[in-house]
Amino acid sequence: MGGYGDVKLLREDGLRLDGRKIDEMRPIEIEAGTLPGADGSAWVKHGLNVAVAAVYGPMEAHPRKIQRQDRCVIDVRYNMAPFSTSDRIRPGYNRRSREISKVTAEALESVVICERYPRSKIRVEIEILSAEAGTRCVGITAAAVALADAGIPMRDLLVGVASGKVEDTVVLDLDKAEDNYGQADLPVGILPNTGEIAFLQMDGDLSPDEFNLAMEYNFKAAAEIHDIMVDALKRRYEGGEN
Amino acid sequence: MVALVPTLLRQELARLAENDARIDGRGRWEARDITLETDCLYNGEGSAKVVWGDTIIYAGVKFEMRTPWPDRPNQGSLMCSAELRPIAGRKYEPGPPSPESIELGRVVDRGIRESGCIDMEKLCIVPGEKVWGVMIDIHVLSDQGNMFDACALAAIAALRTAIVPAERFDVGEDYTLKVKSTPIMASFTRVGGRYVFDPSAEEELGGDERIHITLGDEGHLHSLQKGLKGVFTPDEFAEIFDVAQSRCVELRKLVANQEGN
Repeated sequence: MGGYGDVKLLREDGLRLDGRKIDEMRPIEIEAGTLPGADGSAWVKHGLNVAVAAVYGPMEAHPRKIQRQDRCVIDVRYNMAPFSTSDRIRPGYNRRSREISKVTAEALESVVICERYPRSKIRVEIEILSAEAGTRCVGITAAAVALADAGIPMRDLLVGVASGKVEDTVVLDLDKAEDNYGQADLPVGILPNTGEIAFLQMDGDLSPDEFNLAMEYNFKAAAEIHDIMVDALKRRYEGGEN
Repeated sequence: MVALVPTLLRQELARLAENDARIDGRGRWEARDITLETDCLYNGEGSAKVVWGDTIIYAGVKFEMRTPWPDRPNQGSLMCSAELRPIAGRKYEPGPPSPESIELGRVVDRGIRESGCIDMEKLCIVPGEKVWGVMIDIHVLSDQGNMFDACALAAIAALRTAIVPAERFDVGEDYTLKVKSTPIMASFTRVGGRYVFDPSAEEELGGDERIHITLGDEGHLHSLQKGLKGVFTPDEFAEIFDVAQSRCVELRKLVANQEGN
């Protein structure tokens, strides 16, 4: 995490710089089925973050050595567009995107009923078009909606959400300034219906009590985001399209 | 199996061409529906989204401050590149930039660069020391045919909305980038033995060579490219060149309308 207390992140009235309460999320919009050529797709706007996810498959797993006899493999690529941040990002993979892709794939493998598709591969492509803190969570949410849109059976809709700490206060859903100058960030992937966690990362400094409070915020927010995800899928399929 | 489907498709496309018909019912020079949206990405200094049929393209402009090339101390630079990410379609694989994506980026780049719409000397901040590098990045989210025209449209529309972020680099106030003209690309693919405008994914799969024509405001040629296997005659080129003139005028209006809003 960045500096400690050298930038003011909470206002006199206890609200955050963008006017949110400490346990308030940035606004979220979700649309399912936005890419005509994909088997499943989703567009998620979370604050100023924009993520697009596409699912291709299940398809034959190539090369053969990645095949599993009893289940499918999930191949996730998380990528930030060169123009998604304030300084241009050089195109191509870097250590950060590789790590995020890996742990996201493992999280999705924990919710998808992989045994249904032995020897297959499901490709999940996550593109971040606009980034303003919390892109891996937005990517997870988008990937889950895209998988559901592709008709892939899952135990639950995985929801990406983060809490953190700024000025010794636990807050939900860090924005850019809070991420840069705050004291901790706790992104998780939650299965709201089962109450399980499939994705977990954290950096910074949190006491056990702060951790518990951050998790409480995350679970509360995950339930809210889950409703928005379900609503997006309903809008896609109740209208009679496809 | 891979070869069988195009063979059947080619036969069908040839049959349709005999009756001057297209597989999706369009006229030979008719485009699919096109929508253009600009200023749609928060962190892009200029941005555009093009939905062309089912092809979806984003373009974003970023500025970098760099030292000028020694032989051009008072000129900035412009670079346009395209990424064909695996999200764009089932056939796209991860890996280093493919020859296809490099060609796409370079053909779009040449059209914009050679039109002279950007005055490179205006991108100079301190001669010999500091100049602006303008980067146009094209991101293909969905390739369902005629990516080239859609990418070129997104790139010039994004460039025409770009704001130079001088404040962020501490060299004065932000200002709108001056873009003197609107180069537009029109592409033609041989389908069923004759050229059509704006091929769909199906027509590209069962078609042959393609020709990309970029025209400036006055109808002058700024870039040409022939891609894929195939040959054509001067008469065939004359025919599509005429069509390119009128299609480019229409597409240029689309960019102008967007700016009017």
